Amino acid sequence: MLTGGFMEYDVIVIGAGNAGLTAAATLAKKGVKTLLIEKHNIPGGCATSFCRGRFEFEVSLHQLSGMGTPERPGPLRSILDSVGVLDTLEFVQMDKLYRMVVPGLVDITLPANKEGIVNELQAKFPEEKDAIKKFFDFVWQFFMEVIGAFYLNDPDINQKKYPLYYKYALKDTQSVLDEYFTNPILKAVITPYWTYMGLPPSKLCFSDMAALLFSYAEFKPYHIKGGSQMLSNCLLETFYRNGGEALFNTDVQKLLIRNNSVYGVKTSDGAEFQSKYVLSNASAISTFVDMLDDDKVSRRVIEPYKGSSIGTSFFTIYCGLDCEYDKVGINEETNFICNTAIPEYDYELSKVVDTDQSSFIVTCYNVFDNAMVPEGTSQVVLVTMKYADAWLKVPPAQYYDEKHRCAEAMLKNAEKVFPGLVSHIEEMEIATPITHMRYLNHPGGGAYGFDQYVKDSTLFISPKPPINGLYCAGSWYGSAGYQPTLTSGHSAAMAIVKDIRNK
Amino acid sequence: MLKRYGYDYRLDRGLEKKYLERLHPRHITTKIIDIIDETPSTKTLRLASVEKYLPPFQAGQYISVNVDIDGIITSRPYSISSSPDETAYYDITIRRVEGGFVSHYLLDSTKIGNTLQISSPSGNFIHNPIIHSNKLVFIAGGSGITPFKSMIQHAVNTGISRDIWLIYGNKNSEEIVFDDYFTMVAKKYPTIRYIQVLEEGRARYNGYITAKIIKEVVGDSSNKTFFVCGPQGLYKHILKELQTLQLKPKQIRMEMYGVPTDVFKQKGWPEDVNPDSKFKITIKNKKEFTVTAGEPLLNSMEKNGVIVPSLCRSGECSLCRVKLISGKVYQPEGVKLRQADRRFGYIHSCAAFPITDCEIML
Repeated sequence: MLTGGFMEYDVIVIGAGNAGLTAAATLAKKGVKTLLIEKHNIPGGCATSFCRGRFEFEVSLHQLSGMGTPERPGPLRSILDSVGVLDTLEFVQMDKLYRMVVPGLVDITLPANKEGIVNELQAKFPEEKDAIKKFFDFVWQFFMEVIGAFYLNDPDINQKKYPLYYKYALKDTQSVLDEYFTNPILKAVITPYWTYMGLPPSKLCFSDMAALLFSYAEFKPYHIKGGSQMLSNCLLETFYRNGGEALFNTDVQKLLIRNNSVYGVKTSDGAEFQSKYVLSNASAISTFVDMLDDDKVSRRVIEPYKGSSIGTSFFTIYCGLDCEYDKVGINEETNFICNTAIPEYDYELSKVVDTDQSSFIVTCYNVFDNAMVPEGTSQVVLVTMKYADAWLKVPPAQYYDEKHRCAEAMLKNAEKVFPGLVSHIEEMEIATPITHMRYLNHPGGGAYGFDQYVKDSTLFISPKPPINGLYCAGSWYGSAGYQPTLTSGHSAAMAIVKDIRNK
Repeated sequence: MLKRYGYDYRLDRGLEKKYLERLHPRHITTKIIDIIDETPSTKTLRLASVEKYLPPFQAGQYISVNVDIDGIITSRPYSISSSPDETAYYDITIRRVEGGFVSHYLLDSTKIGNTLQISSPSGNFIHNPIIHSNKLVFIAGGSGITPFKSMIQHAVNTGISRDIWLIYGNKNSEEIVFDDYFTMVAKKYPTIRYIQVLEEGRARYNGYITAKIIKEVVGDSSNKTFFVCGPQGLYKHILKELQTLQLKPKQIRMEMYGVPTDVFKQKGWPEDVNPDSKFKITIKNKKEFTVTAGEPLLNSMEKNGVIVPSLCRSGECSLCRVKLISGKVYQPEGVKLRQADRRFGYIHSCAAFPITDCEIML
């Protein structure tokens, strides 16, 4: 019986987000006795869905990266395979990266392959034809160096072998773009994926942008049939099948620490569970500030993050349309609808509540998965980056009016590209940073953890906190997004397995 | 600043939680400050917060009332019948349900001054100004009037632009709730029309609410949004009627209203199972007990001391979701299960009726 007090596990995993679920599934598969504790009543964290009317809305997954084909598998495919969920899930490959529109300025759709991207851009920007070819060759060369040095674990990494890496790895994306191009519209058209990282090109490390472009073009973007909840449920199922135990609707209140070593957790109903290892997929702030009793320990552990700022959240409008998507002019799965071609400006707008000038992403989920919607309907999700700070200043009594006001303003801009959209909305749900904060239990409703500055990346801050037996995984301890968080859960679990075996 | 000196996140401990508590506290402890007799079978309980603060809500939303009746811990959802601009209290209006459990308790065993624990307001039976018309047809049956009372009062109190037709069906004149209020506002404001339909007794319209009545009262329905709330019987009947008006799906909003009480008469219910058939439920790693087929699994679990969170108790919100490891349950039509939940054997226990022995995991 799961009553706590005397229950002992090898590992306790806190949080059933992408990283927690992959970690738990990996541990159970390796025969490690694992308890997974989740505050919510359903697994997934961001990777979830909800039902409204006759629609089931995908909450967060846009384009899954790192899959690759069965013949040429990407890194994520191998991880999902080793966890044992690959064959249970169905993946649909997308042939386009995105359509990007700045009304009156540009409207372009890029295919998901290097040659196609170059051709398309050259046709639209003939005056920078050569630079386009050069830039993409360079990005690929750069990334081949990254693969050689890190993915293939070169024991001797030096400047001579990896000249591009040494020169560009820590540069910001904007300065590299400026080196190659003059037309700001062209620069903007190449980099809308910055919103997947949460920082504009001037603040975003070039390695990250190169990784996104290379990975999506080489390994293709993917959709998971049935949405991200299918992945979450599937990971949990594997965990159960391998003997894992889980507690839902249970809140971990404290980490139990003795002599700088973790020995278990205490839940809010007072139950204690013992284990020599704890893997936290909760936010760094929940883990290091809320769950640590001793302020001195807390201070020491959070120290590396004191320069990190809480990352962005989102304002999202989930729409169920009563018509096929092409009726309102939607043809692609992923659409970046921008108000300007100046990402820096868009980024600044993520700090205010208003959405009337915000750029946003329009994702139509049934372009690649008809089973996502009832026949003759479509699921369209509009999302823009918004930090929680401004929303936290909205008086609660005005909260619902603000939600509607901001949704209306954003839809008005969407109408410019997709006329008739609003008149076809049958079901609508609006999520603000406050909504994400409530369901994720993340400070600032941050889905990307801390701001993804390179100074705060795993290059400089180890995801392993200085408490024996305590491991962390998820967006707060490294890169954000599906592939990175799923990978980090797997890596942290493997590190624990290794440690157990060495003892 | 941040880069040079760093930020001590310990200083913010609990701050954001405080904001969330202002919008969506998990529970609110309230005190009954008034009990108003509405009809012989209906009373309004007026609930004020013990903490002196109630979160805002949208007209049409409901709260779930948690009760402990002779050791059985359970909950029931009730639409808030007061207006969101009356911020000092929430009204819930309760009708005695035949064979009811919680309604009897709330009507017979509560007094002014008692405390009641409730959830924060929830639900999607609300007017969305972006996609719904400002011309609204409210179709209510019996105690399904409560969300409309909130919506109409909100429009009246705040002056927001709404053109409203309230078509309210009841068995007889004795059962009409808020009759005085609706009569008064309909007299005062030409934008609010109040149409009574009675099964028995004298009224402008007799019988059930029909498409013919709606057409006669409302005229052109193509530019209006219809909100429907009432007991199960009303839905079955009214959906057919509305079909003849050729409305688009987006024009019809239906409030959930529990699960069918006569589930054994529904399509797909197995012939060899009676509502009284007994089955064994095993809650993995916890306990075993016997249940009757005609009762929702959630209720049976609560009667046996197995508590899972619950809110809508109508198969929608998924809070009471549990995993069915073995056995079979009957799930009435309209239960909103996620694709992934259906595939991996999860059920909403409030809308699941055991039709074999079952093993459940929480």
